[in-house]
Amino acid sequence: MAVLSDPDRVALWAKLMQDASASRTPLPLLKAELRAAVDAADAWADANAAAYNTALPLPARTALTTKQKALLLMYVIERRWEVSP
Amino acid sequence: MTTTRADLQPLSANPIGTNFPQILKLASDRYALAFDAATDEACAWQFKAWQGLTLPLTAIITVSMVSATTGTTGWQVQIEAVTPGDALNTTTTSSFDTVNNSASTTVPGAVGNTQDISITLTNNDSIAVGDLCRLRLNRDADGSAITDSVMGDVYVLGVELQDAA
Repeated sequence: MAVLSDPDRVALWAKLMQDASASRTPLPLLKAELRAAVDAADAWADANAAAYNTALPLPARTALTTKQKALLLMYVIERRWEVSP
Repeated sequence: MTTTRADLQPLSANPIGTNFPQILKLASDRYALAFDAATDEACAWQFKAWQGLTLPLTAIITVSMVSATTGTTGWQVQIEAVTPGDALNTTTTSSFDTVNNSASTTVPGAVGNTQDISITLTNNDSIAVGDLCRLRLNRDADGSAITDSVMGDVYVLGVELQDAA
C-alpha cells in the first residue's frame, strides 16, 4: 500500500483533533506539529510494510491479501490501544 | 468612551453557509459554539442598528480552548447592513462587507480559561441607524488570512458589540 494521499492525511488529522476535542483532552501541541506526526506515522507504516509482511508466518503471508494483512495489523493495534492503561 | 450595544449569545446564533459551529451545552451548564480546528465554520447574529450609533464598532469575542494549551487563534468578523429600501433580495442574497481580521492571538495556558479577542470593525458596510444588520463570525481555521495554530475546537461563549458613544 502506498502512503496516504494529502486529503486522506488531512481527514485523519482533522479526526484526531475532533477526537481530542470530544474527549476534552488537554494537548500541548500545535496543528502543524500534529500534522507532522500524522505524516510521519503514515510514512513509517509505508516504509515498514515489507518488514511486517516478512514477519507474518506462512501460510498467512501468502494466503492473505494486502487488505486482509492491513486489517490484521489494524485489529492488533486497536486491541493494544484498548487494553493499554 | 465605549458603550455595549449588543450581547450576542450562542443560542441566538444563526448557521451561515454549509459549515457552522456546533452548539453545545457544557458540563458547567453554559452554552458554547464549538469552532472546528481544520475547517472554517461561521455563524451570524441579526440585529437592528440602534439609535445613537457611533462608529467605530468593536466586536469582543469571548473564547476558551477545548484541548489546546499552546498556539494562537485567528478570527474574522463581517458586517452586513441593509438600509430599508435597499435593492437587495434578502430572501436569496447576502451582502457582507469585507472581512475584519483579528490579530493572531496566543491562547491561555489552561483549557477552559476564558480570553477576550477584540476586533475593530473598520469594514462596517456603512452601517447606519435603523439598518437591518448581521454580524458574521468565523474562525480562520485554515489559516488563509491569520495564523491559527491551536489544535482542537475553540468554544465561543459570547460576543459583545460595542460602539464609540
